Amino acid sequence: MKKFQLGEFEEIVLLTVGVLYDEAYGVAIKDEIEKRLERKVSVGALQSALRRMEKKGFLDSREGDPTEQRGGKPKRFFRITAFGKKALEYSKDVRTDLWNAIPDVALDMKIV
Amino acid sequence: MIKRFADRLLKWYCHPDYYSDISGDLEEIYLRNLDDEISYAGWRHFIQVILLFRPSLLKDFGQDSILKDTGMLKNYFKISVRNLMRHKTYTAINVIGLAVGLAAFLLINQYVTYERSYDSHHRDADQIYRLTTDMIVDGVLGTRDAMSYNPSGKVLTEGFEEIQEYTLTYNNGGLNTRKDEELVRETEVKMVDEHFVDFFGFDVLAGHSETMLKDPFSLVLTKEKAKFYFGDEDPIGKTIHVFSGFDRPFKVTGIIDEIPRNTHYKFTVLMSISSIQDRLDAEGWRAFNYYTYLRLKPGTNVADLQERMIPVKETHLGKNPLFFNLQPIQEIHLKSEMTYEPETPGSAKSVNFLEIISIFILAIAWVNYVNLSTAKAVDRAKEVGLRKVIGARKVQIRGQFLLESFLINFMGALLALIAAELAVPFFNQLIGEEILGNLILNHSFLIKLGIFALIGTLVSGFYPALFLSNFGIVTVLKGKFRTSKNGIFLRKALVVGQFAASLILIAGTFIVIQQVDYMRTADIGMNTEQVVGFRNPRFGNVSFEVVQDRLKSFHNQLRSNPNILGIATTNSLPGGKSNEIGSTSGDSRIVGLTEPVQSTTYIHNVDDAYFSLLDIEILEGRNFNAKMASDSSAVILNETFVKRAGLKLGDEIINQKLMFGDDPENEKYTIIGVIKDANRSSLQMGVEPTAYFFQPFLSRSMVKLSGNNVRETVAFVENTWKEFFPNSALDYAFLDDRFDQLYANDKRFGAVFGAFSGFALLVAILGLFGLSSFMASQRTKEVGVRKVLGASIPHIVSIFYKEFLILIGVAALIGLPTVFFTMSGWLSNYAYRIDFPWIVLVLAIVVLLVSAFLTVGYQVWRVAVLNPAKTLKYE
Repeated sequence: MKKFQLGEFEEIVLLTVGVLYDEAYGVAIKDEIEKRLERKVSVGALQSALRRMEKKGFLDSREGDPTEQRGGKPKRFFRITAFGKKALEYSKDVRTDLWNAIPDVALDMKIV
Repeated sequence: MIKRFADRLLKWYCHPDYYSDISGDLEEIYLRNLDDEISYAGWRHFIQVILLFRPSLLKDFGQDSILKDTGMLKNYFKISVRNLMRHKTYTAINVIGLAVGLAAFLLINQYVTYERSYDSHHRDADQIYRLTTDMIVDGVLGTRDAMSYNPSGKVLTEGFEEIQEYTLTYNNGGLNTRKDEELVRETEVKMVDEHFVDFFGFDVLAGHSETMLKDPFSLVLTKEKAKFYFGDEDPIGKTIHVFSGFDRPFKVTGIIDEIPRNTHYKFTVLMSISSIQDRLDAEGWRAFNYYTYLRLKPGTNVADLQERMIPVKETHLGKNPLFFNLQPIQEIHLKSEMTYEPETPGSAKSVNFLEIISIFILAIAWVNYVNLSTAKAVDRAKEVGLRKVIGARKVQIRGQFLLESFLINFMGALLALIAAELAVPFFNQLIGEEILGNLILNHSFLIKLGIFALIGTLVSGFYPALFLSNFGIVTVLKGKFRTSKNGIFLRKALVVGQFAASLILIAGTFIVIQQVDYMRTADIGMNTEQVVGFRNPRFGNVSFEVVQDRLKSFHNQLRSNPNILGIATTNSLPGGKSNEIGSTSGDSRIVGLTEPVQSTTYIHNVDDAYFSLLDIEILEGRNFNAKMASDSSAVILNETFVKRAGLKLGDEIINQKLMFGDDPENEKYTIIGVIKDANRSSLQMGVEPTAYFFQPFLSRSMVKLSGNNVRETVAFVENTWKEFFPNSALDYAFLDDRFDQLYANDKRFGAVFGAFSGFALLVAILGLFGLSSFMASQRTKEVGVRKVLGASIPHIVSIFYKEFLILIGVAALIGLPTVFFTMSGWLSNYAYRIDFPWIVLVLAIVVLLVSAFLTVGYQVWRVAVLNPAKTLKYE
């Protein structure tokens, strides 16, 4: 059953938006991911993931006030929707199920 | 600067809803980077903008693009696709035909380009000429020799300001070296002077290009060779031991990059020509055994320069019939017909032939499309009529059909790419050279594929588009339009053209195969079966007597094996290339019998066992006799020599004296015998006028085996060799294989010709398959009526056959004379050739008839077996 389509990167972005709660806008999300996961994120990859998830209904967004420091451009803050939360939970459950289903022996690998 | 450009770019493509905040984010990052003094902040910004170019963030370009109204285009496209899908067989025939045609055409094109690219990669290749030697007697051009005198390059460069520089080289061919304790046979060795590397502009990886080949016993390797000898170590300054006449170490002084394979002068090892300086000095203006290359100033009048070289030649060579000649280096591979070429040249004729074949195949494929789409016009007539009624102009209808043609050609091109890629290994094998790599990465190939797909669209799509757009509205919509008269003639003409092309190729293939077969099996005047030939070992500083004794005991040891029937020695093994024998270009005469003849005489040194070992018939006189001391000044002539001297057999030639040159003091040789002509090389050349001289021991041995236990006997020869000459490698070959090798090019040509003729026939038959299937289905009702009136199936089939028989007849009328003239021309290249095989033409027609009748018969039969009750139901 494929209820929610959530890619690996999308999931990370979605979670990070949750982490930042009220301060989740482009640069902040990018910085947070780069800091926590130690990997480079391009604005392109991030923005397309954000817009895609907004279209899917996992996120909604509001426009902030224009600030001097951004050349007079407004920030766009993102927030997880209830649907987005469901998607995250679903994906977490799937993983937990899979973890639990692994027999102990398989993880208890030794170099023979 | 770059920042502003990036911002404008983003604004141009970004969706307006997203633009303001995304650009804000970017701005923030950019400013932060500036604050942190991160370098290239502008470029980083630009890269981020490029990475933002994603479908989900793009604006809708459809809104304000030039193509505002794409409705009709979409409609054309949809109708085209529907049509192609509805007639899957026709689509498949067209696409497969075009794919085969394009793939074959482009593969051959790559090969042809490669063959024509020989020696074009040198620095200013169009200014490089090879100095060659022409023999001109009384204004008639005789033997042309690719070699020149060793001092000539220097003298000419000093004497003429048009000649900028020269390089002197000697083709060493093969020699033995030692790597660790192992013997290595190097086969591409050239001895060159210090100008050589810079003259051609080879890439030097180590060493100084101007000096590395100056000192005697210096050696330069290509990259691969250096790796072979020294692995990852630095080879400069190390030595390699060279046997084969030197038996001393050579110092490695340089490494150059691998040279391209498309050159007539291939090498992997270069040695300094100063290593044989004593020989150069001794030969001087007396022998021409060297390849000299000259670089001329741009715009030099070559004919005029050659004219002005004559006085220079006369100061050094006197009034002899040899003249300097300048040959452009790029013409050597395909156009040279000189003797003593360093490698067997390619054939411009074969290359041109192949090119013509490839054009034929492609043309046949295009014709298929024209034929099928005009034949199917009836199906589309109503559509065209309706479009016209609602206001379509002719141009629009043409555009629509061109789009359809484009789709077919495009699919064909894609399939061709796949087919060609898969065919590369087979093609390389067929051609015998690894000239094609991965085609998908080959830009020139992809570009050509695209260009020819477009040309194909226009060529094959233009006429059908014109034809279909010219339908009259009224006739079409009234339903009176059945078949169009003017289309039929063209269609028939095109089918005739296809048949004729196929016929030419099939007959041509048969003739090539027959000629090659003839050469391989013809009586060459000697028996080379079960004869093994090899070069005797060479020793550096050992006296000749010692060598001879050692060889004698080696031969005696071999003779002890009952399966070895005989041993002979010679200075040139049969089955060699034209340059493997010595010659003299002075005049020769039989004293008292003939006037001096100024023409090349080939000199072949043999021992007393040579003629009997090869079963060469002695027509007059006797064989050499080792026991007669006087035989050291005896000579045996061949028939061709006798004929050239203006004599014939029975003219009392035996015991007359043969003399070379016009100095009465020159040695005179007693003629003791005349042998039957024997071809020592390819039958493409005639037998050379040859004089055989006796020497008891020569550089190459031939061993005749009995034919029993061949493998064991050869192993015995190898083991005995190892026992006697542990420092030399035995490089033997059966003479039969050597002869086969001579015909490798011809055989390959036959195979390539055959393969691609097969493809041409296949494409033509494919077209015929489609066309006849359509014709049969068009006449379903006619067939039904005929059946009702009592016609049998064979009778119905024969009605269709009659039409195609006429077409094939006309094709034969066109094709047969073409085959006759072109193939007679090809055959005339060979000194020994088959009579024009008329039976082959009959055979070719039969092949064509059978394949055409099978195809047409099948399609007609499918219609003819239908129950008339069904086919006539709606009338």
